[in-house]
This record gives sequence, C-alpha cells and structure tokens, in this order.
Amino acid sequence: MNAAPQLLFDALSLGGIYAMAALGIALIFGVMNLVNFAHGNYIAFCVFALILPSSDVVAVMFIGKLPTLLLIPVILAIGAGIAVASEYVIFRHMRGATPVAMMISSFALGFVIQNVMLTVYSSRAKAISLWPDLNTPVDIAGASIPLLQLIVIATTLIVVAGLALLLKKTRIGLEMRAAAENFTMARLLGVRANVVITGAFALSGALAAAVALIMATQTGVADIRMGGQIMLTAFIATVIGGLGSLPGAVAAGFLIGAISVVLQTFLPLEIRAFRDAFLYLFVIVILLAKPQGLFALRSAGPRV
Amino acid sequence: MARLGVFDLSVRYGKVPALMDVSLHLDEGERLFVAGPNGAGKSSLLKAISGAVPTTHGRIEMDGELLSGRAPENIARLGLSMVPEGREIFGTLSVEENLRVGTGIRRDYQAIAEDMQEIYQSFPVLHERRHTSAGDLSGGQQQMLAIGRALMTNPKLLMVDEPSLGLAPNIVDQVYDTLIALQKARGLTLLIVEQSSVRAARVGGRMVVLRGGKVVATGDAGEFAESDLLNEAYFGQSKAPSGAETHR
Ligand SMILES: Nc1ncnc2c1ncn2[C@@H]1O[C@H](COP(=O)(O)OP(=O)(O)O)[C@@H](O)[C@H]1O
Ligand SMILES: [Mg+2]
Repeated sequence: MNAAPQLLFDALSLGGIYAMAALGIALIFGVMNLVNFAHGNYIAFCVFALILPSSDVVAVMFIGKLPTLLLIPVILAIGAGIAVASEYVIFRHMRGATPVAMMISSFALGFVIQNVMLTVYSSRAKAISLWPDLNTPVDIAGASIPLLQLIVIATTLIVVAGLALLLKKTRIGLEMRAAAENFTMARLLGVRANVVITGAFALSGALAAAVALIMATQTGVADIRMGGQIMLTAFIATVIGGLGSLPGAVAAGFLIGAISVVLQTFLPLEIRAFRDAFLYLFVIVILLAKPQGLFALRSAGPRV
Repeated sequence: MARLGVFDLSVRYGKVPALMDVSLHLDEGERLFVAGPNGAGKSSLLKAISGAVPTTHGRIEMDGELLSGRAPENIARLGLSMVPEGREIFGTLSVEENLRVGTGIRRDYQAIAEDMQEIYQSFPVLHERRHTSAGDLSGGQQQMLAIGRALMTNPKLLMVDEPSLGLAPNIVDQVYDTLIALQKARGLTLLIVEQSSVRAARVGGRMVVLRGGKVVATGDAGEFAESDLLNEAYFGQSKAPSGAETHR
C-alpha cells in the first residue's frame, strides 16, 4: 500500500470537481457580476434527469439508460438548457440590477428548482447505478485507484484545456473575455450582450452537468440536496481565485481539493470531524493575505 | 442630411441632470470639438450618442436613422465608434486582441486585415507590442490602441473623449497628427472632446462649448483661441481670469 500516490489522486480528483463547479460560477460572474447560487440546483437537476420522474423510492433509469456516447451530450445539453432558460426567464430582466438583488434572485430560483424536484421526485435519496464499472480500482504506482478518479482528472484536464482553447482561439471566446473585463466597452465595439451572456450560461450549465455525471457515478445516489455542498465549496473557490478569474477558479478549486484531502488524511482522528472548520480557517487566512483573491483581475470596468 | 444630428437632448443620472436640451449637428467629413469645464456634460453627450447611457428626452440621428433607444452594439453596427475618456482598453487582452474585438460586426475580411496593417503603420509601437498585454502599455500607447481599436469597426463617425488627458505634449501631437491623417484618408467624421482651445485651433474645426449641461457657445475653434470667448463661456460673464486658457 503506497499512500502518496493515493493522496495525490484523491486530491486531484476532488480538486477537479471543485474546479469545474467553480469555473461554472466564475464564467457567469465574469460577464454579468452575478453569483448564481442556483448552480448547485442545476447539478441536482441533471442528476435527476438521469432517472424517470416518479416519487418511488426505487429509481428507474431513463436518460441514464442511453448509450454513453449519447448520454453525455444529452445531459450536457440539459444542463446548458436549464441554465440558458433561467437566464432568459429571470436574469435577462435583471441586467443593471445590483449584484445583491441578482444574487438573491438566484437563491430564489434555486429554491424553486429544488421544490419542483421535491414535488416530482419526493425528498428521499434514491440509489442509482450509472456506470458502476468505473468504481473498480486499477493499480497505479503501488496504489489502487478507482478508475473513476482517473476519468475525473482526465475530464477536468480536457474541460479546462477545451475552455482555454475556446476562450483563446474563437470569436465568441474573445468577446467573452472582453465582456468579462468591461461589458459596456465591449458593447460599444459591437459585441452583442445577449450572445455573450447566453454563451456563458450555456457553458456554465454544461459544466454543472459534467459535475452531475461525476457525482452520480461516484456516490451512486440521487439526492435533491446534492448540489448544495459543492456549490458552497465552489463559490469559495471562485472568491479565493479572484471573482470572475477563470484561471483563479481552477487553481483555487484544486487548492481546496488538496487541502481537504490533506486534512482528511493527517488530522488526528478525534478532530477529523472538524475538517471543514480547518479548511475554512485556511480560506480566511488566504483572504486576509489577499483580499482580492489569488488571481485578481487587473481591471474591473462597469458591467451591463 | 447631417451625418450626426442631436436635437434637444437631455440626460440625467437619477435626479442629477447632466445635459439639458442640447442640440448640435455634424456634416459628413467634418470635425467638431466639444469643450467645457469639468462636469459640463461632455462625456455624457458622447455616452448618450453611443448608447452607453439612456437619453431622458430628445432625439439623436445618424444619417437620418434614429440612434436614441438603440443598444450600443446596434449603434456600433450603424457605423459609430467611440474612444472613451480614460481609454478603457482591455488590459488582460493582448494589443492585437484589443484591435480584433470590434471586427465582429464586419464581414469584409480582406479589408479588416488591411485596416489592421494601416493602424500598425500609423502606430508602429502597437505592432512591436502586438502580443503583450494591453495593460502593460504606457498611457500614450493605450490612447493609440484605443483609437486603433475604435477604427477597426470601420466607423463613419468617430468620437474621441479627451485624447490629450494625461499625455505628454509631444505624444498629444502624434495622436492628433494621426487622427487628422486618418480622417483625410478615410473621409471620417470626427467629434473630439478637447479642453484646450489652442490645441483645437491648431488642428482646426468647429467648436461647441458646454457648461452646466447646456451649449453656451459655438463657433470656429480659431476664434475661441484668439479671444476670451472660451473663458467667458467657461466661467460666465467677465469673471474670466485673463490669459488663463483652459484650466479646470
Ligand atoms: N454615472 C454617473 N452617475 C451620476 N452622475 C454622473 C455620472 N456620470 C456623470 N455624472 C454627473 O453628470 C455631470 C456631467 O458629467 P460628465 O458628462 O462626465 O462631464 P464632463 O465629461 O464634461 O466632465 C456631472 O455633474 C457629473 O457629476
Ligand atoms: Mg468627461
């Protein structure tokens, strides 16, 4: 049994999930100063989209039964769809509202999504089985690592690299970066606000769906509350990273993942239950040292 | 039909009025300077024309098309571009990326490439530093970039808000020389906010003076430089300190 590689893979896979969730939050904050607290509910929504709508305890797979190559794009599209729909129905009408007002609306939206799901699926957690084979361990460097962890790490790398390419090399990416820095100036240069914001919501929702697939496989349950904890951690990662900074969100996601795993492993047993208290102590120390976050944006212009 | 027509324009921020019943016009290929003390409403005028702030009252037209009420991205599509006060370049983007942001509204890809070359010829330093972050440029270079970026939308009407602000005099000369050369080459119509009537007179053009959100004087920039008209316009009757030019 070799602990070091085990630790490394634990940290990277947990950090990868946080990084993807944090990216989803940072993307939207970047273009419209909105901290979208409904993001965690998008994750839960995507998990439940895998099963047949019913309040029975036993979950019957629905979209989750599709062949993998079809299932992944369908769930990503569902995530993108619910995010774009919430922009169209709610946030579009709040442009120019204060960030606090928008944030409260996102809380409200989260409650609405959660309660609709409660009515349809009931509040009990359900066991689901998505890609159970992925939890089989493989031997790497003397440690036995679940295949899923490797897939999570690879997925995170692909997502981050893909997003970086999109932002660096495409027209919409250029417009999103310009808009994230100074929305009004971008619009004065002809950048369409609606296109950029819809694009950001679609990407953000697809990221929520990716996190949902990973969590569903990893935990084997569908629980209406399952997005909440990760949303909170991811939000903290975006703050540490520097709100709106995408590289910051990724770096801070991995940092929090690493700190969690290290604390989980090395804290004496009797205080391990307080792991999160120690984690947030780290967070406070970082923010005291760097109130703007680790990757503060160089300039923050006026937004829509 | 005037290139730009502003009719009885009023702008207010909440209860604070910034412009009251301002009217002015600009013919095709013309050059108009807007002067006036700080807080006169010069920037608000440019922002209202470009759609960055809503108009409370009045009408703005370009080539007979109504601008007021349109979103800024749609006004840009009609051929209007602005270099805002303080440049507002995208500091995290490279110099070249800054130039490309405004080309999304164009489909004449050949001409886009040529325009880029033309701007690099006008401002060689931008070409040298095309791959650096725009935030690392000096103030003068940022002003050149802001002008280049606005030109990349291929505007018919270019508005520049205080190009000389915070720049060394020799850099200001260079910026103006290039603006005038570009205006001649492209038949641009120019609206420039400029506090110095001496500078405006040297470049030449018509001048409108704003104070307290109203037009208080109009005329040829040269006349303002030679007389005390501008001081009177700035400070009201007779209180103008003689010899003082354009101080804030
Ligand atoms: N965003 C704003 N909110 C509130 N008041 C503003 C805003 N921008 C400008 N003002 C006010 O409007 C008036 C005109 O300002 P401005 O157009 O910037 O003048 P200038 O460019 O001539 O210095 C000033 O009284 C200023 O305080
Ligand atoms: Mg001004």
